[in-house]
Amino acid sequence: MADIAHVDGPTDEDGPVDDNHDNGHGDEHGGHGDHESTGTDNRKLGMWVFLSSEFMFFGALISNYLLFKGRDFTGFDRITLIYPIELYDIPFTSISSFVLLMSSLTMVLAHDALASGDQNRTRVWLAATGMLGMVFVGGQFFEFSEFIHEGMTISSNPAASAFYMLTGFHGAHVFIGILMLLSLWGISRRQGGLTEDQGLNLELVGLYWHFVDIIWIVIFTIVYLIP
Amino acid sequence: MAAHTEHHLPHPTPKQYVQIALFLAVLTAIEVLLYYVEQGVDAIGTSVTAPMLILLALIKFFIVVAWYMHLRFEKAIMTKFFVAGAILALVLYAATLIALGAIAIGA
Repeated sequence: MADIAHVDGPTDEDGPVDDNHDNGHGDEHGGHGDHESTGTDNRKLGMWVFLSSEFMFFGALISNYLLFKGRDFTGFDRITLIYPIELYDIPFTSISSFVLLMSSLTMVLAHDALASGDQNRTRVWLAATGMLGMVFVGGQFFEFSEFIHEGMTISSNPAASAFYMLTGFHGAHVFIGILMLLSLWGISRRQGGLTEDQGLNLELVGLYWHFVDIIWIVIFTIVYLIP
Repeated sequence: MAAHTEHHLPHPTPKQYVQIALFLAVLTAIEVLLYYVEQGVDAIGTSVTAPMLILLALIKFFIVVAWYMHLRFEKAIMTKFFVAGAILALVLYAATLIALGAIAIGA
């Protein structure tokens, strides 16, 4: 993501101003000397490596679901024969997906606003992203409660178990993202703006948030749309 | 050298971010439409819709990574790490699923 560079710290007005918005390499000149042994900020590189490792994590959960979703568990002990695919509410999940997709837009707008030095607009978009995330998690909570009401719990059968593990862990990631967004919003509100270092934090949280979105793009297609 | 020149690409404007979001929303609508077409028309099976759905998901995936995560504006080392993780996971789990019979080859 674009680096937030040359930010002098929060002010009483609109706060720090970025004068290096468009070239995307502000950290090369922004005083991060201690964090740039690779020519880029090590924290940002670390976040990309972390996100890369998350492919393995979600890949395992998606594979687990694909392995069990079509299996017939008739005849096994302590198995309830109700499968996730019988309960999916595609219109509802489509709206949830749309909400999460739009939260990526508000996240990138928050980042853009900070890069422009507009602290108020940054807070508005951060709050909007957090709220859209809450709508998504709320929708997932509703979906889970509906499924449990229909009789499919995490212990019903391996397919149900794999479904709850996959979507539950994704929901947990979204929830952690919301906490980080609200923390940034709170810090910005208390200080009157985000400093340069906190601007980088916003960038890292943004990367995490978009990653959670792309994982959902995959889950929505593989789990919900392809029978 | 290529990575260096990529670094000077201008980032999208807020208006362009909104246009990208609208495009992503349209792709999502097409995905849902495909799902219902497959459900409602017997002649169209998953062998037709599944590849299209995967293609649409991949397009959305790459748009978000390139434009919202700004990977196309980042240094090559970021792309290498990210793509390496994605490819490693894809190959590992595809091989596992094929070995366990969850994905049929040539069926």
